Amino acid sequence: MAATLTERYISAVTKSLNPTAQDDVRIELEASIADAVEARVEQGEPSADAEHRVLTDLGDPAILAAGYADRPLHLIGPKYFLTWWRLLKLLLCIVPVVAAFGVALATILAGGNVGEVIGQVIGVTFSVAVHLVFWVTLVFFILERTGADTGVRWSVDQLPEPAANSVGRADLIASLGFLVIGVGAIFWDRFLGFFPTGADPIPVLNPALWPWWITGLFVLIVAEVLLAVGIYARGRWTTGFAVINTALAVLFASWALTLLGRGELVNPEFLDFVVQAGGEGFARGELASAQQGGVFGILAAITGVCLVLFPAWDITDGWLKTRRAKYQA
Amino acid sequence: MDMNETLDTHLQELRRGTIVLACLQLLRTPGYGYGLLESLEQRGFATDANTLYPLLRRLEKQEYLTSEWNTDEARPRKFYRTSEAGIRLADTLTSEWVALTEAIATLTDHTPEQEN
Repeated sequence: MAATLTERYISAVTKSLNPTAQDDVRIELEASIADAVEARVEQGEPSADAEHRVLTDLGDPAILAAGYADRPLHLIGPKYFLTWWRLLKLLLCIVPVVAAFGVALATILAGGNVGEVIGQVIGVTFSVAVHLVFWVTLVFFILERTGADTGVRWSVDQLPEPAANSVGRADLIASLGFLVIGVGAIFWDRFLGFFPTGADPIPVLNPALWPWWITGLFVLIVAEVLLAVGIYARGRWTTGFAVINTALAVLFASWALTLLGRGELVNPEFLDFVVQAGGEGFARGELASAQQGGVFGILAAITGVCLVLFPAWDITDGWLKTRRAKYQA
Repeated sequence: MDMNETLDTHLQELRRGTIVLACLQLLRTPGYGYGLLESLEQRGFATDANTLYPLLRRLEKQEYLTSEWNTDEARPRKFYRTSEAGIRLADTLTSEWVALTEAIATLTDHTPEQEN
């Protein structure tokens, strides 16, 4: 004979319970259901209908089982939710970026073309993010079920500074200081040289860039200065500033990447000098990796990735600050 | 969420703890699952079977209820009875309930004066 609805219901409830509690719950539930059905039958209901009705009222057996076993019916409850969410946001800000950087570098060094680099970066970044979300959530799922303490407590010290979102003097000084040091470094490199060669200084940047390419760079730097002052004067980031910031960052990246791509960014004399100073071992190292463009190919790849990444960060930062300023207003 | 839904939520919140107290008081004389469900309903503490049955087990685990199988009748039933600790808990909850009732009464008494 096929199992009755009640039998099927009860086994659905008890199957996930602790074995020691199973029999107890089963016998008690049998009696409770039988009592309820009996009461309905006494009222004149057909027994099949009564059984159906009683079991429907009891609801999903998994919910009842969770009630018996004191199991939560949520993935991550209020106790852990914020810790989980904050940790996830923090990790998602850091790990995929680092992974993207690493993959871009590795693909370029392995001789990949632009399409391969982009494809690899998108693929790996996506799978890293998915893994991150999955594993972090799994850990918190287990914490939720074991009731372990994460040790994270909130205190008033964590309240964000109200001024943190507006643009302060510190931001302006940092921007200007950075740009002044940059300009100073370019002049120093050209006329005094960073490296003691014992003879005339050898600039790192290609002297052929003077005057036009360098002038172009200075124009960009002046524009950056004006932007920093403008933002300071306005007191906050706006969409307009973010657009200008984006344009400047893209222009700067194009300037540097074009020259790097053409092999005109770095002074060839300087490269020769480095190879000579490095001795035979260094030169051999270059030969061994000659297929991929040698040591300088590696350096150029690293520089190139940095030249994309830093402007990208600068652009993102500008938009983030704009958005925050909007929320505050 | 419409008005009725929010009303239901508020009523549910207010009633939530009362089922425990009602069970502890009723089970000073031993009772079993379905019988208790009926008595609760008759006395105005309508509750769902799927809330009550796990609740009884939880209270038993917390040692506010004791249980005993009665196999005298055709159907073996698990009888629950409020333990010593359960009676103390019921007394505490009852005096809390009384205090709350008084406090709420003073709220409505004082409202017109505060408006002056």
